[in-house]
Amino acid sequence: MMNFAAAFDRVPKFVLFGAAGLIQIGLIGLMVTDRAEILRAGRDVTLLTRPLDPRDFLRGDYVVLGYDISSVPAGALKDTPSAGWGTPVFVKLAPSRDGLYEAVSVHPAPVDVTSPEVLIRGRVISGANCGKELRTFCGTLQVRYGIESYFVPQGEGRKLEIARNQRKLTVVAAVAPTGRAAIKRLLIDGEPVYDEPWF
Amino acid sequence: MFERSYRQRLEVDLARWQVEGVIMPAIGEALRSSLPPAAGGINISVVVGIVGGLLIAAAFLAFVAANWTEIARVLRFAILIAGIAAAYGIGAGFARAGRPVLADLAAGVGAIIFGAAIALVGQMYHLSDDFAAGMLLWAAGALAAAVLTGSRGALAVALAAGSLWTGARVVDGADMPHLPFVPFWMLAAVLALAWNSRVAAHLVTLAALAWWCTAATGRSHDLFIIAEGAAFLFGAGLLLSHARWDSPRSFGVILSSYGAFALATMAAAFAADTSWEFHIASVTPPGWAVGCGFAGSILAFTAAAVGRQPGSIFAAISIALVVVVVDGWVQPKAGEPWLAYALELAAMLCLVVSGMLDGARPRAVAGWLGLAGVIASVTWAVKGSLLRRSIFLAAAGAVAIALAMLLGRLLPKESRP
Repeated sequence: MMNFAAAFDRVPKFVLFGAAGLIQIGLIGLMVTDRAEILRAGRDVTLLTRPLDPRDFLRGDYVVLGYDISSVPAGALKDTPSAGWGTPVFVKLAPSRDGLYEAVSVHPAPVDVTSPEVLIRGRVISGANCGKELRTFCGTLQVRYGIESYFVPQGEGRKLEIARNQRKLTVVAAVAPTGRAAIKRLLIDGEPVYDEPWF
Repeated sequence: MFERSYRQRLEVDLARWQVEGVIMPAIGEALRSSLPPAAGGINISVVVGIVGGLLIAAAFLAFVAANWTEIARVLRFAILIAGIAAAYGIGAGFARAGRPVLADLAAGVGAIIFGAAIALVGQMYHLSDDFAAGMLLWAAGALAAAVLTGSRGALAVALAAGSLWTGARVVDGADMPHLPFVPFWMLAAVLALAWNSRVAAHLVTLAALAWWCTAATGRSHDLFIIAEGAAFLFGAGLLLSHARWDSPRSFGVILSSYGAFALATMAAAFAADTSWEFHIASVTPPGWAVGCGFAGSILAFTAAAVGRQPGSIFAAISIALVVVVVDGWVQPKAGEPWLAYALELAAMLCLVVSGMLDGARPRAVAGWLGLAGVIASVTWAVKGSLLRRSIFLAAAGAVAIALAMLLGRLLPKESRP
């Protein structure tokens, strides 16, 4: 132990400080490449947003987004054991006639899908605490996919908020083969208003 | 040990002893020269530098929060990366120049800018699903910086981010209690021990208390959980304070001091909380929390056996009495909890005595504050008959005076006030 401490003390300070900075920059780099990869390789799905509770409107400088697929029937999952809040689930999406994707079924693990179906990964934030022990799935699940916030420049959130509440706001999300999703584009009345670059 | 106040007091004593002829001037000089050189203090320029560093770190955070679009996203990101690189580069320069405080500050600023960069990436990609995961990443990066640079500032950032992580997990309801924080805390504690740093020990202890408070958040047994946690920290601190090596001993003293204050606060809170009988009657406190309180008592008695100091025995009794009250073992099925009140008073008295016997001033102060808090709570608790409370307090006072008289007779004359 003493030898280790002595050896550590002998390492030049600029190496140690440099390593600390590089580790942090590396972690940030991993975050960026991870998200960019989803945007680059993910399948595009268009989702319709829906109004939210007014208390959740614009918090600071981001708009809270809710989707029709945020609330899904548990189907075969109902009354089966859950891991409580945050239980991961996979929701199979399929496009409707107007091209908007809708939830088809919910699964506890990845299942095979055929194009144009897409499997998106989410976490149950409500509906995983039914039964006597509060450890089974309820009839309806509230699912979060990690695409529920959209950061906007100061003062620009109102426009999106109004469009969202009029159900004119749609989101194009990129869904990676693993099911992870990222917001790619925002449209109002079908017209792109924000397009997300990879970097 | 050789802090500024100690040196000042030693200087005054040496001058007096020389004037009184107790020691020869040569001996005084020998004692002065035997002290190790004083550690570099923090002068005004360093203080101003610290303020400047913190302001720059806050500017980075506000810069991200502003979500300013006049600068391209990539450029904003580059500014933050450059900020991290600059902070650690400047820190390395200060460390090389023998300016440890400023090097520490620079690493701390770097850790804060790292957090701002995480927030910016979250904004760039509209990440919303897991705030806690972002905090964990921040905490991990800052802890790595603390390990490599020895920065107390980076450790403070790591523990603050780690506490936010555990708080977010508890609010999510995912983990109750949030045990993954424990290994993270242990790493930070090992750092504090390896550095033998009082500042680090304070930070780590505060993080432990914060964890117990978040573990209790939103639970029907909130006071129980915090009280059991206080007992555990106090007991563990007492045992560590009897360690052979200076570093764990110093850490243990700090841990036990915070534990004593938390225990005293909880004793007063229990006396004041008129609904706690309901808690005990309705739901059993969580087993893990009860176990921690029990473990705290055992650790404290072990410390008393190891240290063979009477003060530690009184501290252990104090912990055990509070645990007995908290776990509801003396709770009457109906009426007011006179025995619980009496045990809480006895526990706080033991705490004061323990602090006095061990020369542990914070522990004695905690005991006095606890006594004042319990007496105030018993007096003003809006419940039951005030006349009965008056009789209880008078009886408790009479017992205390009788005890004082008995001790006055038993103690040797020279030790009486």
